[in-house]
Amino acid sequence: MKNLIIIAILLVSSLAQSQTDYEKGMQKAFELWRNNPTEAENMFERIAKAEQDNWLPSYYAAQINVTNSFGIQDEKKLSIQLKKAQDLINDATAISKNNPEILVMQALLHTAWVAFDGATYGRKLSPKVAKLYAKAAQIAPKNPRVAYCKAEWDMGSARYFGQDTTPFCKDLERAIELFANFKPESPFHPKWGKERASQVLASCKK
Amino acid sequence: MKAILTSIVLMISIQIGAQSTINGKVYNMKNTPISGANIYLEGTYDGSTTKADGSFSFTTTETGTQTLIVSYLSYETYTMAGDLTYMKDLTINLRDDVSTLDAVVLSAGTFSAGDNSKVNALKPLDVVTTASALGDFVGALQTLPGTTTVAEDGRLFVRGGDANETQIFIDGIRVFTPYTPTTNNAPTRGRYSPFLFDGITFSTGGYSAEFGQALSSVLLLNTIDEPDQEKTDVGIMSVGALLGNTQKWEKSSLSVNASYINLAPYNAIFTNRNDWIKPYETASGEAVLRKKTNSGLFKLYGAFDATNFELTQEDINLEEGAYFKLRNSNVYVNGSYKGKLNDTWTLFGGASYTHAVNNLNIIESTVKNTENSMHAKLKLKNRVSNRLKLYFGAEYFVTDFEEHFSDDNISNVAYGYDNNIAAVFAEADIFISKHLAFKPGVRGEYSEIFKDFTVAPRVSVAYKTSERGQVSLAYGNFYQNPSSNILKFNQDLEAQQTSHYIVNFQHNGDRRLFRAEAYYKTYDKLVKYDSDFTAFNSNFNSDGHGFARGIDFFWRDSKSIKNFDYWLSYSYLDTERNYRNYPTKSQPNFANTHNVSVVGKYWIDDWKSQVGFSYALASGRTYTNPNEPGFLNNKTKPFNNLSINWAYLISPQKILYASVNNVLGFRNINGYQYANTPDLNGNFNRRALRPALDQFFFVGFFWTISEDKTSNQLDNL
Repeated sequence: MKNLIIIAILLVSSLAQSQTDYEKGMQKAFELWRNNPTEAENMFERIAKAEQDNWLPSYYAAQINVTNSFGIQDEKKLSIQLKKAQDLINDATAISKNNPEILVMQALLHTAWVAFDGATYGRKLSPKVAKLYAKAAQIAPKNPRVAYCKAEWDMGSARYFGQDTTPFCKDLERAIELFANFKPESPFHPKWGKERASQVLASCKK
Repeated sequence: MKAILTSIVLMISIQIGAQSTINGKVYNMKNTPISGANIYLEGTYDGSTTKADGSFSFTTTETGTQTLIVSYLSYETYTMAGDLTYMKDLTINLRDDVSTLDAVVLSAGTFSAGDNSKVNALKPLDVVTTASALGDFVGALQTLPGTTTVAEDGRLFVRGGDANETQIFIDGIRVFTPYTPTTNNAPTRGRYSPFLFDGITFSTGGYSAEFGQALSSVLLLNTIDEPDQEKTDVGIMSVGALLGNTQKWEKSSLSVNASYINLAPYNAIFTNRNDWIKPYETASGEAVLRKKTNSGLFKLYGAFDATNFELTQEDINLEEGAYFKLRNSNVYVNGSYKGKLNDTWTLFGGASYTHAVNNLNIIESTVKNTENSMHAKLKLKNRVSNRLKLYFGAEYFVTDFEEHFSDDNISNVAYGYDNNIAAVFAEADIFISKHLAFKPGVRGEYSEIFKDFTVAPRVSVAYKTSERGQVSLAYGNFYQNPSSNILKFNQDLEAQQTSHYIVNFQHNGDRRLFRAEAYYKTYDKLVKYDSDFTAFNSNFNSDGHGFARGIDFFWRDSKSIKNFDYWLSYSYLDTERNYRNYPTKSQPNFANTHNVSVVGKYWIDDWKSQVGFSYALASGRTYTNPNEPGFLNNKTKPFNNLSINWAYLISPQKILYASVNNVLGFRNINGYQYANTPDLNGNFNRRALRPALDQFFFVGFFWTISEDKTSNQLDNL
């Protein structure tokens, strides 16, 4: 009996050892994301403050802010939210320079402005977005998020200029292939985007 | 064995016993609960998010002294250090972050254009898309209230001040010769390409203590910090051509551009009131080098341009006309560094050098003048907190002007002056709350030429009256030494002086902006002389004085009508002064009473085109009719101008642009020239001063070539 208890205790403590605070925290944050993005965002921010040399928590906190900003109608609210997202991206960039995932997030942040008001912000930000994707694609030609987000952006621009969007369907197909072969560096590295890419591709084929 | 087991159990229980709970509620300063705020112990994973009622609660295994952080969007982050045992049932009130967008802005007197300013009256791109501006930043600013339309001059005349009273700065450093030379019946343009700037701040009064030697207005231009991408720009226009290139490296970038303008073909097609011998020709080049250091940015800006023309102009006193020939060359170099010294201190340092040479032949006389000017400035900023920022600095201006004059009677007389000024300034931004802010400042200047020290206090206050509205007040004293056409003949004078009193109301809605600003200005120590023109034998004194008062309205709306952006300006001005050779206090001929400007731009998606118009109405300006008693005793008829433009996007990188100035062909009269002597009936004959061209047509094709082929000309619209 005694031995059993000892074994049990040892087991628990070794388990606890195998999962670090960081892993627990990240896991918890991802769980929260499903139902409560605000709490998830706060959690990611807390982790970012505790893990000053890891770009991932800032990156995800930024992603939540960017994702939530699509659809905001109030310019003031939008600019507060995106300012926060920009600060987080800056934090992540300070830790990891020329990171294609962060470059994509920056491009998405600009896209949020363009989506809000294309006439006002498109002129200023379109070249920046294009430049970010070009740079990301140069660094990581096999990154599926780079390929997919770039293709979706290019389709949007082509549609705006009344040009043919079908050439970019091929890019999307390629992105889907890249998703299939993509192996994230760790369980917490970015791996999102496949579903949405498939949706866009489906609309492309119609 | 048992002992080990006991100790393990004990250890666990101690840990459990050591786990403490932190709880409380978070409110704003008005005790409204804040939900969604992030609360945590610094450096740990322990924390929580506040609920709808502002409450929070979390446990931690940490012990002893810890730092509790509470952060939420648009509030100042709250920090509390202390023993964990005290962190129970806390009541935390977060203060508004004064750096957020909806905070009060110190804005009396200023119009900003740029990405960083909170309230934009004008966007950088407006310079190139305003129909009447023709790509000239000065032309675009003339659609703002507070400016007077002086069509034949083209410079900035602000609130009853003459053009010399406005000073232009690039990256905080003075530009001594900002305008290209022209004939006296065609408007001048700013020398510098609008594409190199991404921030424009135009102040029509009450500006910061950082800026001096300007009685009426300052215009601040900032060059782009970092270009987006490598590209080549090609432009082919009905009046010339331009070429630009940008290169980028890891830490630095270089932009160069060159342009050549020649009006000979244009003059051959369209009739011109001037009798050209050698049509207007100008070549210019600019370069900006930017280099990032670890904690700062170094910029070097250089511009060169050369202009020449030769013509004969109609003149009522000269049957054969007045001959005029000009060759001008201008070099401007400006270097600046801005960097962080540490978390709270920022340093700015910069210097500029101007070398300007004018060779003029006027009728029978020859004039050659050379100006060498320099400006150096050092400025420190201390960000004590979000709510208190201190600025101080020192600067030095050097001007060495020399002129040679020859005519039939006089051969090569040389004269000139040195005008050196040393200045110090200090200023603070004080935010009492998100609703109330002050900016007190003081500037001291020592003028070597007059051996005189002046002290100029400045202060502005801004108070937010509602979510979108605010009221500001500003007061300031401003000194400026007289201009070169006086100083070259007499240096025994005093600095000219104005005081500004400004009340401003601003309502900044959702992409709608309304401003109303009333002002009163007094002028003192203006230069007076007793001859028709300034000369060696004129008697000068500093006894001139005057006033200007008025009200400016501005309304911009880019929201109400889809794809349509427009603005309206109206300025009322009442001014009189007694200066120069005025016998009495009078309204000067560069200041009129009413100025109206309307600018609109409409984007037609189906046509991939932007069409625009701008309309200006200026009430008549004064002139002296010698057939009637009095001085500046008559007014011209009002000035009207409607300009239209059309930009068509052929493809994302190619744009076709066309514009017509004065499309309705208004016959504008800028003033009258009277004969020096009366005719047989004792009547002084006159000649109307009309613009060189009533209308102006412009067609251009612009092409941007970039590596990724995605950059586009939309950017230039």
